[in-house]
Amino acid sequence: MPHNLRWFPVTLLLVSLVGFLDAAYLAAKHFLGLPVVCTFLGGCGTVTTSRFSVIAGIPVALLGACYYLVVFLLVVAYFDTKRNSLMVMAARLTPVGFLASLWFVFVQAFLLKAWCLYCLVSAVTSTILFVVALIYFFQCKKHEPTETS
Amino acid sequence: MSKRILIWGSTVLVLVGFVAGLAYLAKQDAAKKPSDTGSPTRAADVTASDWTKGPADARVTLIEYSDLQCPACGFFYPIVKQVSTEYGDRVRFAYRHFPLRQIHKNAELAARATEAAGKQGKFWEMHDLLFEKQSSWAQELAPTLLFMNYATSIGLDGEKFLSDFVLPEVRANVESDYQSGLDAKVEGTPTFFLNGFRISNPQSYDEFKSVIERALAPQS
Repeated sequence: MPHNLRWFPVTLLLVSLVGFLDAAYLAAKHFLGLPVVCTFLGGCGTVTTSRFSVIAGIPVALLGACYYLVVFLLVVAYFDTKRNSLMVMAARLTPVGFLASLWFVFVQAFLLKAWCLYCLVSAVTSTILFVVALIYFFQCKKHEPTETS
Repeated sequence: MSKRILIWGSTVLVLVGFVAGLAYLAKQDAAKKPSDTGSPTRAADVTASDWTKGPADARVTLIEYSDLQCPACGFFYPIVKQVSTEYGDRVRFAYRHFPLRQIHKNAELAARATEAAGKQGKFWEMHDLLFEKQSSWAQELAPTLLFMNYATSIGLDGEKFLSDFVLPEVRANVESDYQSGLDAKVEGTPTFFLNGFRISNPQSYDEFKSVIERALAPQS
């Protein structure tokens, strides 16, 4: 990896950790059967108990936590082995999180008309991951065209 | 090799540490609630923003957290109504929304319908009508028009009803009731609070009556 690309894995690592903690908190609330109450943007209860909060019986918070955890572990594995393919794999996952977040922002804005702060934090972290991954791919192409394949 | 152990070891430590912290935090929020500290569960005091019946200075206040689509609430509706008719001059009743959105898809809309009717001064009329006709609208895919018909049948301006129905303020009223219910640890509907304290649901009119009579009796 070219020297000026070193900040990518670090950013992915930190942001995916934040996303993981946020989603894990919501998932923990779900499994403990406790309501999510937020003082800021009071819609947490509405959003996290809505019919959009569960897909095929699995709470979406848990899916989100798994997604962030996989990205996080791939980047850790990259730090361990320095194999670029791991970074590429992590970067290729980010559109999944980004599209999921787009959907949930749409759900909150137009279907539920209620906002949940924790869900918005996740939307921000998944967007950052996606943007960073995009920049990473473009930079890689510029520096070493063959490296990403 | 030692670098490898360092990387994965610290990763595991960080993850385990954070997850343990989160689980603690998630539980802590619940522990802050009064019922876990030994005192009985309390509901927030009745304010001007609540829908109430009866004298404001009544010595006894009954708060009901309810879901217009819930069959059990429909079962309690005539009982509560009978109690409120009989004790209307001595007991204050407050109704708060607690729509169980996950299982009752029309509960939230029904709650908003009563709020919208309330903007034309007929909250209780709509509340009564929706309970009486619960089975006709509960399974409707799009109950809004039906609600508008109900609104005009009790003498409301249908157009105004519809425009109020979608107001952010109307949604916010339902949501703030719901949140206050969560704060009071309401888990199901209906849940009753007598003078702020949660009571177990009386199973008949007579039981309800005796609970109210006891609260009204002069303290000895």
